[in-house]
Amino acid sequence: MDRISEDLKQPLVELILSIADDKFILGHRNSDWTGLAPILEEDIAFSSLSQDEISHATVLYQMAAGLVETTADKLAYGRKPEEYRCAQIVELSHDFDWAFSVCRDFFCDHFDYLRLSRLARSSYTPLAQVAARLVPEEEIHVHHIDTLMKRLGSGTKESHDRMQNALERLAPVASGLVEPTKGSELLEKQDIYPVTNPSMFEAWSKKIRQVADAANLKLSLRPMRPDEIGGRRGRHSSEFAALLDELTEVYRLEPEAAW
Amino acid sequence: MVSRDDILSVLRTIDDPEMAISIVDLGLVERVQDADGHVTIDILPTFVGCHALPVIESEIRRKLAAIPGVSSVQVQICYSPPWNVDRITPAGRATLRKHGIAVPESADPTIETRESCPWCGSLDIRQESPFGPTRCRTIWYCEACHNPFERLKRVALGDLMELSLGRLRH
Repeated sequence: MDRISEDLKQPLVELILSIADDKFILGHRNSDWTGLAPILEEDIAFSSLSQDEISHATVLYQMAAGLVETTADKLAYGRKPEEYRCAQIVELSHDFDWAFSVCRDFFCDHFDYLRLSRLARSSYTPLAQVAARLVPEEEIHVHHIDTLMKRLGSGTKESHDRMQNALERLAPVASGLVEPTKGSELLEKQDIYPVTNPSMFEAWSKKIRQVADAANLKLSLRPMRPDEIGGRRGRHSSEFAALLDELTEVYRLEPEAAW
Repeated sequence: MVSRDDILSVLRTIDDPEMAISIVDLGLVERVQDADGHVTIDILPTFVGCHALPVIESEIRRKLAAIPGVSSVQVQICYSPPWNVDRITPAGRATLRKHGIAVPESADPTIETRESCPWCGSLDIRQESPFGPTRCRTIWYCEACHNPFERLKRVALGDLMELSLGRLRH
């Protein structure tokens, strides 16, 4: 179908924004490595990956903007912190710890790949087409990050310990990626967000555990409890307000400016 | 009345700003529509984050608007079907190769291809980096003539297989 009913618009926007916000904020955080990554190849790689994430976010913001009659810029830069739907893991400062950024991408890229593959089968055609276009690009991210995980996890004692430490710091917040967005059950019922079997958490944790094993790293994950609230419902980390303040500084000077 | 051929021949004069071949040879033009001088062009980006798109869009608008009989030009960026290397014309492939950019023979990763250095033709080549100067290119090195070159990504499901090869020896 090319159009969706009024009652499904808001749930769909919530879902699209959760993906776009993840990509936008992750791309912003990772772009810090441009010019500063430990080796030249990774400088190029992380710069390219960040460009991908931000361009994916742009396309998704445009789609959401069309559904609620606003603009992509207003969605990207003009919301209050509690109106963003990104998971907390993408918000955290990396403090220029390379292992932290690699491990964060590991959790996020695998989840994104699954989420987009799932949406490529959506009954809502515009979303299915965009998702199908993004999957091959996300596949490149997954492959790259898996290669890094294995090389650093089974490299020297120092590289291994740094990676293990970063995984342990990130694992407790990583499950927030899988938190359902508001109204997602309605989208599932209409096959707009097709149900998966096994569940997203099972599929995702199984895949990343396999890679962690091959990388000689230990990983323990627990699903979010149903009563826990995270980024998908607007509850963000303590760092998020400052991040957003920096990211939107220029926009706020002249919100109606044409770029 | 504007003819489709007029529009296409103008589109053939617009080069991709990062690739030195026309947007038609690169396979970016998916559809040309004309309704009484109101022209709509559907463009497929090589990568969603392609930086060249705004330049390509404004070039299309500028050049098509100059054709007598054209009263408006609209450029639509489309994501379906996804672009891949099969859309590049033989002439486009030859030009890219002359500029040191290798193009995979097929977007289908199950088809065995014999990639070679665009400078010297050697098959003794290896991938230096799965990322490159633009979103759609990777960096390679030729062991025979000791020159670096670039290679387009297939941009199709199955890129994984290709990337994991890393070093191709035939």
